[in-house]
Order: sequence, then C-alpha cells, then structure tokens
Amino acid sequence: MIDAGLPTRSLTYRLALAGGSLARATARVASFGNRGGRAGSTPGDADDIEQTRQGDPDAYQRLIERHQEHVGRILWRFSRDRGVHEELVQDVFVEAYLSLGTYRGKAPFEHWLARIATRVGYRYWKEKARQRRFEPFSVEEWDQVSGDEDLLDTLEPDRAAVLLHRLLEQLPPRDRLVLTLRYLEECDVAETARRTGWSKTMVKVQALRARKKLRKQIEQSQTELLS
Amino acid sequence: MNWEKRIEILAARARAEQPPHVDVSQSVLSILTSGQAAPITVAERLWMWLAAGSAAVAVPAAAVAVALYNGSTGPLPEIVDSIAWVM
Repeated sequence: MIDAGLPTRSLTYRLALAGGSLARATARVASFGNRGGRAGSTPGDADDIEQTRQGDPDAYQRLIERHQEHVGRILWRFSRDRGVHEELVQDVFVEAYLSLGTYRGKAPFEHWLARIATRVGYRYWKEKARQRRFEPFSVEEWDQVSGDEDLLDTLEPDRAAVLLHRLLEQLPPRDRLVLTLRYLEECDVAETARRTGWSKTMVKVQALRARKKLRKQIEQSQTELLS
Repeated sequence: MNWEKRIEILAARARAEQPPHVDVSQSVLSILTSGQAAPITVAERLWMWLAAGSAAVAVPAAAVAVALYNGSTGPLPEIVDSIAWVM
C-alpha cells in the first residue's frame, strides 16, 4: 500500500513516463466541487472519484481494480504483446487520473475510460506505424482467412483474434481503428464517434474507405494465391 | 461467402477470446506518487504561453520579412549581394 497521498494540486499536469513517448496530458483537478461521477457509473464510482480528487490513493486503487479488466479487454485489441498491453493499461489509468478534473459524470465512468483507452491505443498504433514495426500477412494466414469457410467457424478464439489483428494491422491506423471498433467492439456509428472523438459523418466516411481498402487487400491476396 | 461475412465470422470468434489478466493498480499509484507525473508549475505555464506567443508572432513576421526583401528594389538587396560577393 502506498502511504503518500496522490497529488491534488490544481493546474496542468505533465506526464514523464520513463521510456514512454506519452508526452503530455492536461488536467484540471482543481474544482473538487460536487460535480462529478454521479450519473450511470458503477456503484461506488462516484464516491471513489470524489475521494480520489481529494487525494485518497486507496479510492483510486479501488477504481483501478474495478475497471482494469474492462480497459484491459479494450487494449488487447490494440496490442497482443503482454508487456505492451500492460503498459498501455497503465497509461490509461495515469492519464485518467490526470484528467479526472474534466470528468463531469454525464457518462458512466467506464465509458469515459473506454474513450481514454481508445485514444491511448490509437496513439500506440500511430507510433508503431511511423516505425513500420509490423510484418506482412503471410501466405498461410491469407490461406486461413480466404480458404475453407467452415474452418473459419471452428477457429480457436485466440487464433481468430490473432488473424484479425494481423489482417487489420496491414491498414493505416485510422482505418484500422474504425474497423476494430466496428468488428471487434461492435460499436455503431454513434458509439464509434464517441470513442474516437470524430464526427458521425467522419466515422461513416472513414468506415467506407477502410472497408474498401480491406476488400481490395483481400481480393488482391486471393488473386495472388490463385495464381 | 463474401469477404465481409468472413471478417464478421472471424470477429465473432475473436470476441470470445479471454484477454490476459492485468493488475496495474500498484504500478499506476507508484507513478502518480513518485512524481513521474508531475504537475506543471505556474512559472512553467507562463513560459509555455510566452514561447507559444513568440512563435505565433515570429513565424508570420519572418514570412513577411522574406516576402518584402524579395520584392524590394531599393539598396538593401544590393548591399546584401555585395556582402555576399565579398564573403
């Protein structure tokens, strides 16, 4: 247990996570009024949020323990590397703490965390795309995706997840995000817009482009495999 | 079966996957209490605003200066050219 209280000073906070490129997150933890965390959150969230704002580390620990599974599930779509995954989950809760002052309690805390998790995951993808740290889809993988239809239905969940992850990895991060939210998180346009911070029109356009690119990629690979 | 149906089947199978368990509560609290996530002081904020303001003024000013210099027909370009020739 950590004895020291959490920083509750007002103004903006700086993130300097060792080795991470997560540069800055702003927060106003100032107004500890009676405004946050009441509507629709998991029971106990509102009180814990209030106590966290007053610098109680135990309250924030309870919030983390309550929501880390949900955040972990979201971020497992973004990185399947266990080390990276844990780091991303950690980043989400650090960022959430630093932004806790901006949480108005209009949406459930879980949804607010989901938005932060999506942002953190997307940022990770963009970083990875800049470094071009991914391998092309192998012939065997294409074979599994475009081969026997019955086989797809009998795939082990983790194998299916790996295949889909690898397939979407071939797309630029924006396309990948919109398709991941659509296929894996089953988000509709409104939910995708909330999670990404894009407008609904933007989500629709992006989804259309992403689907076109994915279709083109699959068709190309099928042609290559047949020839 | 069309390609999208395939993706949907794959996604449905993938959704059944159990993600690994993570426990980050202690590490998050360590980061927050160790000061790695440190607050920006008022002085730092003032410097940030000052730097942003200076950059916002300096960039257009430089652009205008370059445009004026290129467009000028007075003695300034001649002086600069002669200095460049000497050097």
